[in-house]
Amino acid sequence: MTPQVDRRQFLTRAALGGVTIVGATALGSLAPEAAFGAAGPAVAPGGVDPAFAEGRITAIAGSMLLTAGSDGTLNRIQTTSGTSVWKLTPAGLGDVRIGDGLYARGVRMPDGSLAADALWVNIVSLDAHVVSLASDRVHLDHHGSRLVGHVVPNVSAAVYNGTPAVTDLSMVPVGGHVHVVGAWRPDTTEIDVSTVYAKV
Amino acid sequence: MTAVYGEASWFCCGAAWGPCGSAGGGACGDCSSSRHQHAWPTVSAACTSITNPGACGVSLTQRGCGFVHYVTNLCNGKEVSSAIADCGPNTHLFCGEKTCCGSSCGTNRLIDLTASAFSAIAGLSNGLIPVKINTVA
Repeated sequence: MTPQVDRRQFLTRAALGGVTIVGATALGSLAPEAAFGAAGPAVAPGGVDPAFAEGRITAIAGSMLLTAGSDGTLNRIQTTSGTSVWKLTPAGLGDVRIGDGLYARGVRMPDGSLAADALWVNIVSLDAHVVSLASDRVHLDHHGSRLVGHVVPNVSAAVYNGTPAVTDLSMVPVGGHVHVVGAWRPDTTEIDVSTVYAKV
Repeated sequence: MTAVYGEASWFCCGAAWGPCGSAGGGACGDCSSSRHQHAWPTVSAACTSITNPGACGVSLTQRGCGFVHYVTNLCNGKEVSSAIADCGPNTHLFCGEKTCCGSSCGTNRLIDLTASAFSAIAGLSNGLIPVKINTVA
């Protein structure tokens, strides 16, 4: 009988070099949506989550990402072929660049590195006021700061009133408030729009 | 307390990069994306006057910094406990907004989780999820 190995155990072993990655997809989908929330250590309410990291990538050494957290924390994030990556869409490690911002969830290893289960690269989640709308962009006001949201063909979508996402953003309410998930273009005030959630 | 049902999102909190770079420590001063924390619309009378959940017909108990809520993702049953660290979301701007997973729905934006808390129960690329919010696990 083949022993059962959950995703967390698999990633730990992979990061330690004790498993062949050939069977990664046997764990199921490698999309970020399927990768989040693997059982980890209990975190006290209000406490720092050791299975989570945030920051900007300062160096890439093979499969290791070095990041500088916004609070000054330095992290080493070990990726494996089982690590799921989101960068506007499901992506690969080859799409990750120095200077990108990221949020990571995984398993904290004995050496202090984080074996990444999932990476969300440049992702932003914002409430914003819609200033204007064109076919290729939406101008947003986020807490008083202007932001350009680029509409990416065949990627950007809108969710109106909780109905299934559609690629037609023409009903996004100018003058109204929306929630936007997108991918920041590093060191700019621009994002690529993933999904606009709007009530119309 | 009787559990309340609504929508949850995740938000800029504490030091961060990109458009979140200007986010501060929140109304309670210690908000951080790496902590299991959240924003609550009625953290104070002043906060309530801004978020105004009553405009959506929602009555929420006022609870202060550090109060713990247990938030369950109705899409998968996963739960995270987190502490209040900020005022928000602006519920009245999204009155009637609804998110569903099958027949499990949450209506009105009632809670914003930090990235670490949200990612414990859902992928961050899910902008909104329906949740149950309770004061006990």
